[in-house]
Amino acid sequence: MVKEIERAGIPVVHMCTVVPISLTIGANRIIPAVGIPYPLGDPNLGEEKSKKIRRSLVERALKALQTEVTDQTVFEN
Amino acid sequence: MTIRYCFCYKIEYIDRIEIEKEVVILKLELGKIKISDVQFGDKTEVVKGTLYVNKDEIIKLVLEDDRILSANVELARPGESVRIAPVKDVIEPRVKVSGSGAIFPGTINKVKEVGSGRTHALVGATVITCGRIVGFQEGVIDMSGPAAKYTPFSETNNVCIVIEPVEGLETHDYEAAGRMVGLRVAAYIGEAGRNVEPDEIVTYETKPLQEQVKQYPDLPKIGYIHMLQSQGLLHDTYYYGVDAKVMVPTFMYPTEIMDGAIISGNCVAPCDKVTTFHHLNNPVIEDLYKRHGVDLNFIGVVLTNENVFLADKERSSDMTAKLCEFLGLDGVIITEEGYGNPDTDLMMNCRKVSQKGIKVVLITDEFPGRDGKSQSLADATEEGDALVSCGNGNVIINFPPMEKVIGTLDFIETMIGGYEGSLKPDGSIEAELQIIIASTIANGYNKLSAKGY
Repeated sequence: MVKEIERAGIPVVHMCTVVPISLTIGANRIIPAVGIPYPLGDPNLGEEKSKKIRRSLVERALKALQTEVTDQTVFEN
Repeated sequence: MTIRYCFCYKIEYIDRIEIEKEVVILKLELGKIKISDVQFGDKTEVVKGTLYVNKDEIIKLVLEDDRILSANVELARPGESVRIAPVKDVIEPRVKVSGSGAIFPGTINKVKEVGSGRTHALVGATVITCGRIVGFQEGVIDMSGPAAKYTPFSETNNVCIVIEPVEGLETHDYEAAGRMVGLRVAAYIGEAGRNVEPDEIVTYETKPLQEQVKQYPDLPKIGYIHMLQSQGLLHDTYYYGVDAKVMVPTFMYPTEIMDGAIISGNCVAPCDKVTTFHHLNNPVIEDLYKRHGVDLNFIGVVLTNENVFLADKERSSDMTAKLCEFLGLDGVIITEEGYGNPDTDLMMNCRKVSQKGIKVVLITDEFPGRDGKSQSLADATEEGDALVSCGNGNVIINFPPMEKVIGTLDFIETMIGGYEGSLKPDGSIEAELQIIIASTIANGYNKLSAKGY
């Protein structure tokens, strides 16, 4: 899906836990997510802290979308 | 004079321990008692190759677990018009006759190292746990018809335990109850083989590293990396009772697995679920032993896991590669359980072990879609240049109706491999091959493969 949407000219950020798979399939902008059962939060920390994690990941994704890349890039921060 | 005496005595004592070590600790004799039929009887016993089981005693044993509301025992033999579903686990009945520990240590028996002495197995018999579904990844076994050939359990004499949980039992508790029921019944039936003279005795032996290397100094040193499913959410494996997701990679003598050191707690896709039967009868270990001292030196097993966090995957594959390097291996075989994100663990292990200068062969199954045109594995690496395929789990097959169903067909359409419309009104099924237990099992205990031309 990532590749097909990009082929249509729309940049994509792939948020995922298993970064190596994302690199293998050819995503260009990658955000490492928390874990496979809960990529955008952490239920162990409660809803409030989970929401903070989610917001920070989404903001990082929006930043990545606006960043020019020449190669596959993992946005760690 | 006295001092000298003491010194001599000590030496003698140490010698004796070393001799004891060599004879007792390292060798497992597996006595295979061939079972060609299963029947109900007044007593659970083996008579001339027929296994008799006492139904009431088994039900009583199962109901000792207060999470189980009711249970039934049904028998399924090769060639019968029987369909078993949803299958949770399959276990070969075994009993520890001599040597340290007891069968399934750390789960139904105390934690104590196993893998030496003598063990008896009722080969050709199994215990199958089935009944109302736990998750959505339990499978189907047909005892006859075109779908039977895809599972090894159409050729065994199966004691099926159909369980019904108490109302409102939480899913993880239900899984645990089902898992323990299977192990306890298998151990109970295994006892019937304790005093039976086996039809065949196979001896397996792996020595401590330095001695093992010295035994066959000219043969390549080969190891086996056994990846245990440990994703959680009903995808778990236990080694001496420890949940594999919280362990770091470790070394195991190959004979330990034959005494039930590893048991399955998995509701993964049925086709490549490594049941407890498959741990007891791991085909990679079996085949490596066949060639042990012939054209290779089988050094042992590295156990690792398949966790759901990237940091865990990195840590476990780092440690796996480090262990292989430390053992001085020339080559390894790696198997995985499940597919999708565990393919990443498989590839990380492949890459990191290869980078240590060790040759790697992978064994896995494939999911390239129903038309076979998509990427077969979720991940790949350049170092993965030698792979044995155990078949394509996405192929659609047809199952004719069976006269008898053990368990229930109520969940066919929500099981992995099933879909809306899979179950027909006459009881026939159209589904992907992956709905069948062990059809593409990724350690080669099946009959499917793929070849490059």
